Amino acid sequence: MTSTLARHARTDLLALETDCLARAQRGEVAAFEQLARAHCDRLLAVALRLVGDHADAEDVVQETLLRAWRGIGRFRGGSDVFTWLYRITVNEANRSREKGARRPATTQLADEQMQLSGPPGDRPAHRAEYQEVRVALEDALLALPLPHRTAIVLRDIEGFSTRDAANLVGVGEAAFKSRLHQARLKVRAALGDEVLIAAAG
Amino acid sequence: LFARRDDHDWTQEHLSHYVEDDLRRRARRRLERHAVDCPDCRRGIRAMKALLRLVTGLDGRDAIRTPDSMFDRVRADARSSSDKPDPGAEG
Repeated sequence: MTSTLARHARTDLLALETDCLARAQRGEVAAFEQLARAHCDRLLAVALRLVGDHADAEDVVQETLLRAWRGIGRFRGGSDVFTWLYRITVNEANRSREKGARRPATTQLADEQMQLSGPPGDRPAHRAEYQEVRVALEDALLALPLPHRTAIVLRDIEGFSTRDAANLVGVGEAAFKSRLHQARLKVRAALGDEVLIAAAG
Repeated sequence: LFARRDDHDWTQEHLSHYVEDDLRRRARRRLERHAVDCPDCRRGIRAMKALLRLVTGLDGRDAIRTPDSMFDRVRADARSSSDKPDPGAEG
């Protein structure tokens, strides 16, 4: 019963998205907003991780939306809308960093983005120490070269498969994996084994 | 001794591959054979697994809310153009 309802809900959503897409492609900006709004929070979260500064991240998403709006007439549904928007966001974040946007504000990112869930297996005695490690972890991620950071964000934080993440970035799977492994080794080196093991409990 | 040193450096470089299960069987055996006798590399494996646990827990998207102004440029663009979206732009 539940799965039937869920299937119907998915079908309805798909129909809604298809309808919005068609109307947006005819130039209805309200339909475009409806289509894109469902994904905006996630796009902003990713942009914030990639560029490290809230104002820069908002610029990235605004530019993403503008490009998507201007390009929607050519969108043929080869990927879903979400993946399409995601790819533009990653490209825009790259462009933003290349332009030398504001320095990553690490404490800002840490405070805003971590609105703090507990540690794995949440043990109150570890909470303060765990939060320190999370800040150090965020700092280590922001210190990575952008291609490495992007690999960790897409694969480990966002949970894309290697194939999808590589596709989003526009590199082959082997190259993507190489970046990912190197990125993890760098973060491990930055934090140290003992700290990582203790924090993960 | 040199072989052991080589194995150690190689293992340290492949800890992420190992925890990702991204090694061929022979390479995996090489790493595990070395780690049995190497406390540093055993700790490295634990640390890499811990790192993945911590990183995958960094979500935070629940805390992010996109302001309505995010669409201002799109709306302005739509107002300034009486044409439909440019079918020649990015897609």
